[in-house]
Amino acid sequence: MLAGWALPGTAGCRRLLATALAAGLRPLLCGLPLCFVTARRAAGQWPSPGLQVPEAAEAEWLVQQVHGTAVSLRRFIACPRLACTVQRCLQGGASPGPQPVLLECAPGPGILTRTLLNAGVRVVALESNSAFLPNLQSLENSLDGQLKVIYGDFFRLDPLGTGTVKPPAMCSDKLFETMGVAAVPWMADVPVKVFGILPHRKERNTLWRLLFALYECSSIYRYGRIELNFFISEKEYKVLTAKPEGTKAYQALTVLWQVGCEIQLLHMEPWSSFATNLKNGGLAVPKTMWLPNDHLCLVRLTPQQDLFTGGLKPTNSLAFVFMVKQCLAKPKSRLIDRLNSWSLHKGGKLLKELEIPKNAKTRDLYPEDYRRLFEALQTSHLFAETWFHDEALESIRNV
Amino acid sequence: MSLLRLRAALAGTARLRGAGIPWSVLRNYSSASAKEKARRNAICERTELLEVLKARVKQLQADPIPEVRVELPLLGDAKQQESLRPAVAPGPAQDPAARPKEESPAWPRGWVEKMKKEMHLRQLKVERTLSIAASQPAPKSQVKVKPESKAKAKQPKAAKTKAKKRQEAPKAEVAATWSQSPASSQSACPRNRPGAAAVKKVAKTQRSRKVLGDKESSHFKVLQQTIQSNLECFLFLQQPEEAERLLLLYHSSPAKRKFLDINAYNIVMRSWARKGHLQHIQRIFSMLESAGLQPNLDSYAAVLECMGRTLVSSKTVWRYVQQLRNDGFHVDELFQKCLFEDDEKEKVLKVIRIVQPNYQLPPPPDPEICTSSLLQDFYSRDKAVSYPKLEFSVEELQERFQQQLEMELDSTVTIESVEATKPLTPQTIKARKLLASLRCQWHDSILQALQKSKHQMSKLKRASGHNVLYPYLCLLPEEEYVGIMLQVLNSLSPQGESLVVLARELGSKIYNRYITQRKLRSRQLEKVQEIYGEYIHLLAKDGQPKEYLPREYWEKLVAEAGFGPSLKLKECSWPYMLLMRLSMHLLELLVQAAKVPRNILNPRLESKQIPVLYHIYSFHSSWQVGLLKPHPVFSQLLSEAAETMLTFNSSAIPMLCPPVPWTSPHFGAFLLNDTRLMRFVDGVVQHQQLLEQCPPVNLHPVLDALNQLGNCAWKINQPVLDIIISIFNDKGNEKLDIPPPISEAPKPPVPSGSPCALSKSQKQELLQCKKKAAEMHSLRMDALYKLSIANYVRDKVFWFPHNMDFRGRTYPCPPYFNHLGNDVTRAILLFAEGRPLGPKGLDWLKIHLVNLTGLKKKNSLQERLGYANEIMEDILDSADHPLTGRKWWMKTDEPWQALACCMEIAKASRSPDPAAYISHFPVHQDGSCNGLQHYAALGRDLIGAISVNLMPCSVPQDVYSAVAQQVEEFRKRDARQGVKIAQVLQGFISRKVVKQTVMTVVYGVTRYGGRLQMEKRLKEMDEFPEEYLWEASHYLVKQVFSGIKEMFSATRDIQNWLTESAKLIAQSGRTVEWVTPLGLPIVQPYYRSKSTVLNCGIQNLSVKNPSSNQKPDTVKQKNAFPPNFIHSLDSTHMMLTALHCLRQGLTFVSVHDCYWTHALTVDVMNQICRQQFVALHSERILQDLSEFMLEKYCSPGTETRAIWQKKLMEQLSSVPKTGELNLKEVMNSTYFFS
Repeated sequence: MLAGWALPGTAGCRRLLATALAAGLRPLLCGLPLCFVTARRAAGQWPSPGLQVPEAAEAEWLVQQVHGTAVSLRRFIACPRLACTVQRCLQGGASPGPQPVLLECAPGPGILTRTLLNAGVRVVALESNSAFLPNLQSLENSLDGQLKVIYGDFFRLDPLGTGTVKPPAMCSDKLFETMGVAAVPWMADVPVKVFGILPHRKERNTLWRLLFALYECSSIYRYGRIELNFFISEKEYKVLTAKPEGTKAYQALTVLWQVGCEIQLLHMEPWSSFATNLKNGGLAVPKTMWLPNDHLCLVRLTPQQDLFTGGLKPTNSLAFVFMVKQCLAKPKSRLIDRLNSWSLHKGGKLLKELEIPKNAKTRDLYPEDYRRLFEALQTSHLFAETWFHDEALESIRNV
Repeated sequence: MSLLRLRAALAGTARLRGAGIPWSVLRNYSSASAKEKARRNAICERTELLEVLKARVKQLQADPIPEVRVELPLLGDAKQQESLRPAVAPGPAQDPAARPKEESPAWPRGWVEKMKKEMHLRQLKVERTLSIAASQPAPKSQVKVKPESKAKAKQPKAAKTKAKKRQEAPKAEVAATWSQSPASSQSACPRNRPGAAAVKKVAKTQRSRKVLGDKESSHFKVLQQTIQSNLECFLFLQQPEEAERLLLLYHSSPAKRKFLDINAYNIVMRSWARKGHLQHIQRIFSMLESAGLQPNLDSYAAVLECMGRTLVSSKTVWRYVQQLRNDGFHVDELFQKCLFEDDEKEKVLKVIRIVQPNYQLPPPPDPEICTSSLLQDFYSRDKAVSYPKLEFSVEELQERFQQQLEMELDSTVTIESVEATKPLTPQTIKARKLLASLRCQWHDSILQALQKSKHQMSKLKRASGHNVLYPYLCLLPEEEYVGIMLQVLNSLSPQGESLVVLARELGSKIYNRYITQRKLRSRQLEKVQEIYGEYIHLLAKDGQPKEYLPREYWEKLVAEAGFGPSLKLKECSWPYMLLMRLSMHLLELLVQAAKVPRNILNPRLESKQIPVLYHIYSFHSSWQVGLLKPHPVFSQLLSEAAETMLTFNSSAIPMLCPPVPWTSPHFGAFLLNDTRLMRFVDGVVQHQQLLEQCPPVNLHPVLDALNQLGNCAWKINQPVLDIIISIFNDKGNEKLDIPPPISEAPKPPVPSGSPCALSKSQKQELLQCKKKAAEMHSLRMDALYKLSIANYVRDKVFWFPHNMDFRGRTYPCPPYFNHLGNDVTRAILLFAEGRPLGPKGLDWLKIHLVNLTGLKKKNSLQERLGYANEIMEDILDSADHPLTGRKWWMKTDEPWQALACCMEIAKASRSPDPAAYISHFPVHQDGSCNGLQHYAALGRDLIGAISVNLMPCSVPQDVYSAVAQQVEEFRKRDARQGVKIAQVLQGFISRKVVKQTVMTVVYGVTRYGGRLQMEKRLKEMDEFPEEYLWEASHYLVKQVFSGIKEMFSATRDIQNWLTESAKLIAQSGRTVEWVTPLGLPIVQPYYRSKSTVLNCGIQNLSVKNPSSNQKPDTVKQKNAFPPNFIHSLDSTHMMLTALHCLRQGLTFVSVHDCYWTHALTVDVMNQICRQQFVALHSERILQDLSEFMLEKYCSPGTETRAIWQKKLMEQLSSVPKTGELNLKEVMNSTYFFS
């Protein structure tokens, strides 16, 4: 069954080397390779280690071995074909310069990991299930630094509550420290790419939490414009990319993601292509009422470089999020009514200045219009009322 | 717009918009306005259509009729023509008598009908928003309506309504009957054409068959209720014309006529009767016939009343009296069954005497006696003991009644708060002045806004025929609406309140005011006053009557006064949807109208009027809640003004006179305030229906028990209250459960500048502080209310009227301050009646004190008494120097009650003769694990019975320790067999670990919930290895369950039997119902509720909709049945004890399974309590339940062949077997209740 894995002999040998490395022999042993590695790293490309990628059936078997202990539903890339597609998508459109490190969330059996490694990508694998860790770690040890395996859960980064953080939950600074990635200014290039499949039970929740992190420039976004490449359900994709005319799908989430990020659809794949850890091997496709949901969509979310160049700042962005949420809580209400209900008395004049029709409904406004509205409110000092900020602060904790 | 386009194009985010961004922006806005335009056009077109129709009708009056026929074939399909042609034809041949006099339309009847049909179709829309309140009606504007194609216009609309979900069946019906039965369109004049009537009847029977299922649905009922409550409004407003207009609206449409039942017609008749317009009533009588309805007693009462108000010939009277007899009624029944208001009865009597000069009112029926075997002794006349007298004379009680009446007439009471009357600072004075002037302004502006909106509505009403809310805004004087709205402003907490809650409160206030008005106007109050004046003779020390129960005496007085059933108001509850709509409308007005200058506290700011209340959403993961919050400026002003007056509803204050005895589900408790016998969730109607269907005599025991509990007089323990208030006004004390003031709240570490600039941890801290402050505020306010009310009645004697929940558990009606409250409130309550301690009274006080400390739980009563004597010094010290001494009382479980008890002991022991010392102090006796006691008794479970003290024992048994022991044994066994987790758990199993789970097992805790409880307990132990938490708790809960199963072998069986039965019943689509041994019918109100969205201007409200088809919620029905059943048993036990205590002359009140009485009578109460427990469980409770359910759910005739029915029958008949406990032993068990 394990035929596809690296030969035990080689792996054993490598492990020896790794132990030696850990024992502090690094400078001695790695003098020469270091330069070599640095040179390759500068080019952003590693030579293919030529790993054999397990077949789909085998991967599925591996996944199934893990379901025994109580874990929540997870989806995996089990089929090498899909892994190749994803790898191509992830590398597509990359500029020729050095490539940022790729953080793979929850690699599981490591099908995609191997594909990526073979394509010369430097990968950090963040695995939350300790059952998958041994295999990943032996893979890590078989390579000289192209793969780094970390125990942790990307979707439980920086938990909101107080108290000690128990693994697999972890803090982002610890993650970045382990990855060896330093913070870069917002305007700089993407420092890290992230790939993952959003766990569907808390898909919405995760999207909101990432959004707050983005606008506050906290958590992962403290380190710069982190590029997210996520498989999300088609219905959420439709929400993220909805247009004002799209009525029901056009929500606060839509506006905030569109203002915050460039959203690119990289690939669509039917649900059936993914393996799950369910006992019966079911697909557990989430139900949907009024949006199509036949696929998982690979979406690239790149934070806008100019997000904080206008009146919007990480310090006041909470109020912006709050404002958008309040406006779109009742999408058919008139914008002017909303403004007035916050005792922003000169709402009418403001809208006139922004050339927004007086009877515009809140769902008629484009994301960019919301941004302009907020910036106008900021400059006109109407927003100075502290209660509005207090409310914003309170509302954020209920994500 | 061009600028906008440019900017949008320049902005970097255009990628998603695709190529045509600027245009899409443009399109977007213009499309919005285009829609708007389309809608406006549609409205125009519709009004235009109406105009044209009217013109057409006028033209037709002049034109010869054949021409119409020529025109008609132009429209619609063949079927439609069929239906239209005869509708026109009968015009000239109609009966002039049946024609409405007021409107006196000269045009052919058919066209009138057609016009009305047109109206109905538009009305469908109104109706939908009215009660079903589905989302906004579909736009109907697409239909281009030309004057020639009226039929076309109708067709698509009908089709559309057909497509509407849920309404499908009835609507399809509409279309069918409409096109098939031509006669229905001329139904207003049926007498002229027997043939047509026959056709109609056929159609009707067809319809009724189809509609049968529909009529039972609660959706149908809600609609009916809406119509009736609207008609009631017009009756109240004395606008018979409006009422008739509404009635006609429904009557003349075959589709909607089915929503009218005889009551709707009766209401209209009554409103005409009040004005004495006989002709109108006659016309409605003929309408009844055409609708195929039988006039009932109320209809005849209305006719006769009307004749009583005008001059009529005896011939006419005869005719109606004859008709009444022909319909199978008797004249006597009028006076026995009709709920007359005002002078209606006198008028009817007068008319009857025109034709029967010697007519005498029928004698009142003999009172029925309850035949329950449990209460044979109680109700048997020969053993009747006189009803205990109060300390008051008739005159004194009369005075108190007047006070209470005045309070209720005012509807609100303003009392002084206990918060220290701090010295007034100039700032406070200024703030109060400001507030006063602001309130004046608000009053005026709200009044204006209300008037304006009413004016608009009335205009709209003229245009569209009918506005739903308008009549409800006319019921009360405008000032009252404004007053109620202003109350919202004053009582809103700074954190705000959810809109739904506010709306519900506001709605019920308005409804209650309306009911009060009705009671006043219908002279119901006068009658109550009269009866009450006599009634108190039963209670007063100088009163004569003796051998009656309060309910019996009241009923007797009512019968003697000849009021018949007329003290009850005719049922008139408003549909929940309507109530919400009304209050949302008022809240909206409030938000718009109440403004405050922004610079009121900071004159440097620029002056600007801003709303006092703002509307905001709060998000909780996937759902959002709309809140109304006061602007911080206003909150600050309020806190600066530190007002010391509190306003309550009069029903929140304990009654100042003995409550009106419950005599029926609709009548009792407060004098004016509307109180329900059974509490239920809004919109659930099943309980009320069940109570109404139940024969009144079956409810007597329950009513008598409630009266007994409500007739207990209370007073305040003033020394304790004073100590509590002093601590409350100082800084509070969290340990003693006196919430500290807001000023003691933790301050955020940083002065809040711009909160956004804070770091994460700072933000978190700030939020923590805010949360804590909010919690403290609500705790503080709760305590403030309780103490202020207590302080308000400190020198008075007062009463708590009682009602019950759907399982029969009883509760005092006033919500804040009552004996069900926490330690603090219980400590300040004393019986108003005093009794000597007697020989054993002092000992009982001491034992009670030890019980309150929570110490010595496992010791015998004698040992507890000994302990109390040992620490006598501490007790006396606590009593003498509560705040300065050794403070022993503060360390007990229930410190305040302990303190009060210490004081009582000190006083009694220092009196020259403690046995003669008059004590007002209530002594409690608690059931030990009452739920398990009932289970053990049900199953005759010997081992279980011992562990919950059903069997006599020298020391109290502790079921929790017993279970812990059992579990420990299992653990040892497993550990020996090498089970890892059992070994890990060594030394961790204790009473504390299992207690919560054992306690909740009775109330149906599941394995899942039990495991969580265990995990929590294990987590609390530091030594327990964390990695085993899950496994250990899982193991433990399994063991606890099997331990309980071992000990209470029959208990689990019974529980499973109940659960399984409930599951099958719920799966068969019905709710679980049963009847308690006292005869109270119970239904579990758990349904799969659909919520509908109520479209209001300010926010869409999602309201749980009782109107959609209610299917039972299987999971809830199943899980809740065992605990609910046990609760119905413990409430029965309590009521039995209460009633028998009454017969022994005891003072008795209860907090569920904790019974209170004087120290003198503890022994008697204990004996009665045990007797009644034995008596209750000697009934065949489970067999009776099984038989009842078999009859209810498996009676032959309903698809007997179904598989589920067979299964259900098997399940219900297999009553679990019982053990061999001898129940009589309970009589000798000291610790059964102790």
